[in-house]
Amino acid sequence: MDLTGGFGARSGGGGGGGGPYREPIGLESLHLGDEFRQLVTTTTTTLLPPDNAAGSFTALLELPPTQAVELLHFTDSSSSSQAAAGIGGGDIIITPSPPPPPLHSFGGGTTLTFPSNSALMERAARFSVIATEQQNNNGNNNNNETPTSSVPSNSSDRVKTEPPETDSAMENQSLCPNQTNRSGKRKDFDKKVKSSTKKNKSSEETEKLPYVHVRARRGQATDSHSLAERARREKINARMKLLQELVPGCDKIQGTALVLDEIINHVQSLQRQVEMLSMRLAAVNPRIDFNLDTILASENGSLMDGSFSGTAMQLAWPHQAIETEQSFHHRQLQPPPPPPPQQWPFDGLNQPVWGREEDQTHGNDHSNLMAVSENVMVGSANLHPNQVKMEL
Amino acid sequence: MMSTYNMVKQEFIKKWITTLHMLDCSVEHPLNVTERKNAIKLSSDIAMAAARSGSTVWSRALISRSGNKTANKPVARRILKKARNRLKNRCLTLRRNGNFTAKSGVRKRTELLKSLVPGGELIKNKDYLIRETLDYIVYLRAQVDVMRTVAAVDSVTGNLTNDNK
Repeated sequence: MDLTGGFGARSGGGGGGGGPYREPIGLESLHLGDEFRQLVTTTTTTLLPPDNAAGSFTALLELPPTQAVELLHFTDSSSSSQAAAGIGGGDIIITPSPPPPPLHSFGGGTTLTFPSNSALMERAARFSVIATEQQNNNGNNNNNETPTSSVPSNSSDRVKTEPPETDSAMENQSLCPNQTNRSGKRKDFDKKVKSSTKKNKSSEETEKLPYVHVRARRGQATDSHSLAERARREKINARMKLLQELVPGCDKIQGTALVLDEIINHVQSLQRQVEMLSMRLAAVNPRIDFNLDTILASENGSLMDGSFSGTAMQLAWPHQAIETEQSFHHRQLQPPPPPPPQQWPFDGLNQPVWGREEDQTHGNDHSNLMAVSENVMVGSANLHPNQVKMEL
Repeated sequence: MMSTYNMVKQEFIKKWITTLHMLDCSVEHPLNVTERKNAIKLSSDIAMAAARSGSTVWSRALISRSGNKTANKPVARRILKKARNRLKNRCLTLRRNGNFTAKSGVRKRTELLKSLVPGGELIKNKDYLIRETLDYIVYLRAQVDVMRTVAAVDSVTGNLTNDNK
């Protein structure tokens, strides 16, 4: 079939073949793509169970935080691995302050800074994800104290001790000394704030309303209103600082207005990138669910972890089963007509593999689909090795 | 060693595969580029919001907003309903006591930020707005990273197809 020849030529072309097709903004993805191809070609091309984590699409996902960073020579992965290790403990780990995020070393180029913000994204993501995960079982170690390096001049009983963001990020459950209850609000990036700074006035939104003890600093008003205001302001400032870290190039800016400017620009640029990328994806593929096949093909049995392919299959195929056989047949009939024939072999390629895996893990949910797919893929069996090897 | 950001991206991919598939099965082919782009973006937004599926305003607002766009796609609405139910259980009541006085410059920009973040205009409290923005940025970035990677991989295969035609 022509496809095999084309694939073979492609593989002969090496990793640099994709260069001319990239736009400037895809430069970074070019790096990733090359690295990815290299990774894949170095791994076995058979449909092995997910033993080898390298060389898969999901490995590519792993790529940005660590390898892409090295790839782009921005920083080492020590910070991100340290971050990951810190969070891996799960308990209150008083980690030493990790090195400052690599963000500081370069301010420009939004596309290039994304991988370098991996440590930062890690921390931010941790707060949002883990915050929600542990929402209900967040039996905080209320007794523990933060190792904060809060400014000595401030009172130790400040409502919101302000450790460096790095520390606060490292600690999964950083706590203030005076924390009594956990707040109900869980999507808080600054755990410290969430756990401790729910004042009476501003805490109506939480189920629990712990009293926050605030000690006024020297020379400041001590009535409750100003204390509350101050606590609130400090909360906002802390989050603004975190935002500053998150958005590239923001740390050197003084003043809330300019920081907000940067944040707005960042959000706008991200949204524009989504638009552009979706247009790009739409232009390349005649069908909407292109990347399903692409990802599945690129997976090739090598996965970040077994659960990924399992869940992906679980998500993908049951929906087809739900829809009807009709949609499935619709896809099966696609190959001869225009939709790229390569997609079909990929389907056939991967289905049996996942069928085997799925049967083990998810029972008979997919057995029907697998059976059907088995029949269909017979014809394209000969393509599998080449395409698998070639695909990415 | 699974980093949390990768978990975010992984979650997003799973949801995205589902939504893409659902949309694809519910629309008739062929579609022109613009329609495809809209479908891809829609599925991506739904997936991003569903991946968050927490007590964030932006995820709920995004799902509601996307629900309007998929009025004629019952299949896609199904997943939206699922996500909506999940979110409802953790309803977060927004406080309306945001009585902060900001300088005009900050105020203007805050309003602008509110218009950018889905559901931001509902948030009166600047504190929560910043929180939402933080969360939204993380997931937005995950979305962009995944889409970019997929596009990179995809353009390779896409070019292969083009070569063979």
